[in-house]
Amino acid sequence: MDQQTTGPAQSEIVDRARAYVRENFLYMRPDWTLGDEDPLLGSGVIDSIGVIELVEFLQGAFRLAIAEEEITEQNLGTLAAIGRFVHQKCHANGSGGSVRPRQVA
Amino acid sequence: MCGLAGVARARPQGVSAQLLERMAAAIRHRGPDGFGLHADDRIGLAHVRLSVIDVAGGAQPMANEDGDVRVVYNGEIYNYLELRHELQLRGHVFRTRSDTEVLVHGYEQWGEGLLERLNGQFAFALHDRRTASLFLARDRFGILPLFYAERGGDLYFASEIKALFASGAVEQALDPEGLDEVFTFWAARPPRTPFRGIRALEPGTWARWRDGALSVRRYYTLDLTTAEAEPADAVERLDELLRSGVRLRMRADVPVGGYLSGGLDSSIACALAAQGSPYHLRTFSVTFDDPPLDESAFQQAVATQLGSRHAVQRIGGGAIARVFPDVVRHAETPLLRTAPAPLYLLSRLTREQGIKVVLTGEGSDEVFLGYDLFKETLVRLFCLRQPDSRWRPRLFDRLYGYLPPQARKGDFWRRFFLNAGSPDDPLFSHLPRFRLTTRIRDFYADRFRAGLGAFDALGELRQSLPPGFMGWSPLGRAAYLEIVTLLSPYLLAAQGDRMAMAHGVEARVPFLDHRLVEFALRLPDRSRLRGLREKAILRRWAEGTLPPAITRRPKQPYRAPDVPAFFAGTEPEYVAELLDAASLQRTGIFNPEAVTGLVRRCRAGLATGVGENQALVAILSTELWHREFLGAPARERAPASSGELGAGASIAA
Repeated sequence: MDQQTTGPAQSEIVDRARAYVRENFLYMRPDWTLGDEDPLLGSGVIDSIGVIELVEFLQGAFRLAIAEEEITEQNLGTLAAIGRFVHQKCHANGSGGSVRPRQVA
Repeated sequence: MCGLAGVARARPQGVSAQLLERMAAAIRHRGPDGFGLHADDRIGLAHVRLSVIDVAGGAQPMANEDGDVRVVYNGEIYNYLELRHELQLRGHVFRTRSDTEVLVHGYEQWGEGLLERLNGQFAFALHDRRTASLFLARDRFGILPLFYAERGGDLYFASEIKALFASGAVEQALDPEGLDEVFTFWAARPPRTPFRGIRALEPGTWARWRDGALSVRRYYTLDLTTAEAEPADAVERLDELLRSGVRLRMRADVPVGGYLSGGLDSSIACALAAQGSPYHLRTFSVTFDDPPLDESAFQQAVATQLGSRHAVQRIGGGAIARVFPDVVRHAETPLLRTAPAPLYLLSRLTREQGIKVVLTGEGSDEVFLGYDLFKETLVRLFCLRQPDSRWRPRLFDRLYGYLPPQARKGDFWRRFFLNAGSPDDPLFSHLPRFRLTTRIRDFYADRFRAGLGAFDALGELRQSLPPGFMGWSPLGRAAYLEIVTLLSPYLLAAQGDRMAMAHGVEARVPFLDHRLVEFALRLPDRSRLRGLREKAILRRWAEGTLPPAITRRPKQPYRAPDVPAFFAGTEPEYVAELLDAASLQRTGIFNPEAVTGLVRRCRAGLATGVGENQALVAILSTELWHREFLGAPARERAPASSGELGAGASIAA
């Protein structure tokens, strides 16, 4: 079976990440609209400890290993970035793994 | 140290002894050794006494020979012997050995000019019958509290707000702007308080009340202008000032002990106290069962070197939660940290061990640039000068060593600081902290938020800054903001005086001897913060006096567990009661749905960030504060009879 088709779709990653962020970081602001390209850090949605939680969630939910040097704004700064990053990781290494992803522009 | 309370009437309608007794009874913890009052047709003065100097002769209210000038006073004038001598040379006749009498004669001699001559920590109310006026004053840095409220032309004043409420004449209502300042700066900025219509006399000011009108004047201003170069004799001068500051603060007719945190400042204070004490020095420390918070090895090292008799207050699971409602009652404000709670328990231990005066290390971190915030300010400026540098922001990873390592690395951590604000903003140094703190506002109920209207706590702070502020160095500006927003209204108050006086313990603060403060603030920044090495000149001085483990140790901030204090073990009943949606709805400050989300994360052990820890403590303490002060009228709950004021009562009418 082709590994490229076994991982989650990018849109599913974005939706699950959005649900996680809403439930854990935006529970006090239920009327906040969180768009795919809205910054998670600059807007104060997630602080640096929150990032660690988010990484743990992504690792567990998508069976990935995320290396410390991958915890960057480029990879995790928006829901869309998370979608691209996780999707690429899953599809670069089956449904998980610790292979470094290609840099996302 | 003591407590004072009183009333000044606009019309000669008298002040009843019962009213003064009620006010005094509400602050009896501040002065368990004695009680006195004076009442006439326009003025009522009440005093509860902690006897420290002239135990036999220092009863208050105290008047001059003909009763024209009469004072109630809380504090210590450390240079009272020198002032007394000077006043005697000018013909004043003293009847007691107390420092209180220096205020009476000093005011007769110099009027408000007296204040500039005082070296001490004080708040007092002085009735001048000659001018039919009341004079209120507070020390330079706000070590001791003084609150007042104007009602129907009358002035009510007291060391603590609960005494104002006990009068039955002062409305008990919240001030949304005062609360919003608590949730921005950690404390309301004087003169504002979290209570509507109740003002704090600002540090370094005096007020005169006459014919129903109050005028407030500043007698002391901070100057953060630094010298170009460190004076050649800087360390010798520092030595003189440290020794003199501690020596003056050892003046007491009872033994003086010391609080020992395990850090540099309290170790210096205790080391100098040990050298000058006629008694075997007693030292007291807080220890934590939670290893990252605990400093007991360092405390023990200093106590051993000093040969002090050392006692510890151990903080284990449940200790903070058990006393937290009492802590809030004494603090009279919502809190963002539980850190005052261990100090509340420490003062209880200190008092139980027979010590009622201690030296503490407060004030040093502000004037000798000890906090990480000062380094953070330098690193932010350094990075912003070359925004494209990839290595400069890595310096942020070296700050805040007490946070989990994984939380203080990487892009997100660095960008939090880099995006926090522009160096042109007068509040630049404090914007990351203010930004983090104000996340509590996300939990506001819509109606409470609407009630704040366009109130802008940061804008008001910017407007309040003194002329010349932007001419000071970035670190000078940061130190000023730290002193006025955190040291005076929070560290010296909710975490300082209130926790010590809850059990009748007087905390003396040698690093806030104004001569030492002025000397330190004038030193070039690099004398104090050299590279990223904090309190450099103080360490140079301390080499040889203290163990190298202390002089070379990086600053560790004093912290206590916040969310885990309430959720790690058995959850105290009041948590569920007060954070229940219906209860929150009644109080009307926070959004029940948002708080429910926070509590869910606390119970699940997920609320580990600074923002959520602060929010939980802020919300819980606000609800405790509301229940304590805005529930049943205080008059119904305060002890009402003079019998409850205990032995030592004296009434002069």
